[in-house]
Amino acid sequence: MSCAELERLFLADASGGEMSAHRAACGPCARLAAGLDRVEAALSDLRPAAVSPALRERLLSIPARTVSCERADELVAIALEDALPPADLARLEFHCSRCEACAEASQTLAGLRELARPEPAPWLGGRIAANRPRRRERRGWRVVASPKVVIALAYAAAVIVMLAGFNPADLARKAGVGRIEETARASVQVAGNSLADRLGAAEENALRTLARWKGHVTGYSRAAISTAIALVMKSEPQRPPNRPRSGEDKGVLQKNEIETSTWRA
Amino acid sequence: MNGTDEKALVERCRRGEDEAWRELVDRFGQKIYSVAYHFTLKREDAEELAQEIFLKIFENLHRYDGGFPLVAWIVSLSRNLCIDRYRRRKREKSFRFVSDDAVAPLLKSQDDPASEALKRERAKLLFSALAEIPEDLSEILVLRDLDGLAYEEIARALALPDGTVKSRLFRARAEVARVIRERHESRPGGTLASLALAAGAFV
Repeated sequence: MSCAELERLFLADASGGEMSAHRAACGPCARLAAGLDRVEAALSDLRPAAVSPALRERLLSIPARTVSCERADELVAIALEDALPPADLARLEFHCSRCEACAEASQTLAGLRELARPEPAPWLGGRIAANRPRRRERRGWRVVASPKVVIALAYAAAVIVMLAGFNPADLARKAGVGRIEETARASVQVAGNSLADRLGAAEENALRTLARWKGHVTGYSRAAISTAIALVMKSEPQRPPNRPRSGEDKGVLQKNEIETSTWRA
Repeated sequence: MNGTDEKALVERCRRGEDEAWRELVDRFGQKIYSVAYHFTLKREDAEELAQEIFLKIFENLHRYDGGFPLVAWIVSLSRNLCIDRYRRRKREKSFRFVSDDAVAPLLKSQDDPASEALKRERAKLLFSALAEIPEDLSEILVLRDLDGLAYEEIARALALPDGTVKSRLFRARAEVARVIRERHESRPGGTLASLALAAGAFV
């Protein structure tokens, strides 16, 4: 066993002289150092193994035999289109025979075509047919039958009858069509209600817009006043208050100071 | 070659420039083959391993970001392959027996046959001792003393602090020295024979 000093000197990149001095002084380290010298002598006899020309040729041919993982990604994509030249296909296959990750990626993508198409459930056709939207009625009839048009027509008819000097209710009663009378009355009422609703909504909108503008104007005014005050305050020199030199009034604020403090507050 | 040049070389290889790949092979082929040989001690295995390492380099060029020396990146990339081969060799019965053929390609040529035989014996002893010490120590000794990697390169390749690399290297050398000494002492023929051999081999 050495005293570990030799190792410490070695790790500290000590000079040969320091190590020799310790070897001379320490018996165990001297034996260890002698063994190390033998190892060093054996190592010094050796040289690097030489690369044969055949091996060099094989190493140079590597790019023609395989591809990198990043290139393999591209080739796998091209191979799916069956557009890969045979040489590239051979390189890709060789690479995949060595690289598990690329082999798995390639097989997974190639397997996409082999996947079976999912069959629809037997009830799916019936459900789709049942949920199909019904055929729309003709547009012209729908327009005439719409509530707005009916109301308008009824209103127009009532106006025409009144202009002709007849009471629509009497006419309706005479004609024996009470239903028409009720319908006309209801239609006139609905039209009136609808008009009132619309007027009310427009009025509310106008009030809201007015309030919004009022708020804007108030806000801007306040901001302008604040800015003006700030500018005025900034332009005034901040002088220290004049205090009397005598000690009689010390600690008592002057009138103008009180006003300034209040204003700032 | 600095980090920028190495990154540029790798980029050219990625773009498929044959000349760039040739440059990379010529620049690092020798070192990688040496590393492979020191882990396998068999020419065929070393060539196969070196080829495997270069295939891996080519397939992973996009992973090199130029953050540290290219040789360190290559060694880190090939470490698992080397360790696998090393363990495979370790499982074989002839693990501790190092043949003349195994060390012959590593010996500097000698005019004197007696001197050559002596160095061959020392090299065999060295490699058989390396096989007996822990794996984490032997790999650092191989990378530093046999393959000539710098401390920083080894530290990067093995993801270790520089201080740990130096400390392990010292321990590896000390362990090899201990194994060699114990081999001599336990050699049949007595102390005199081992002393004579030791004198012939190491003095």
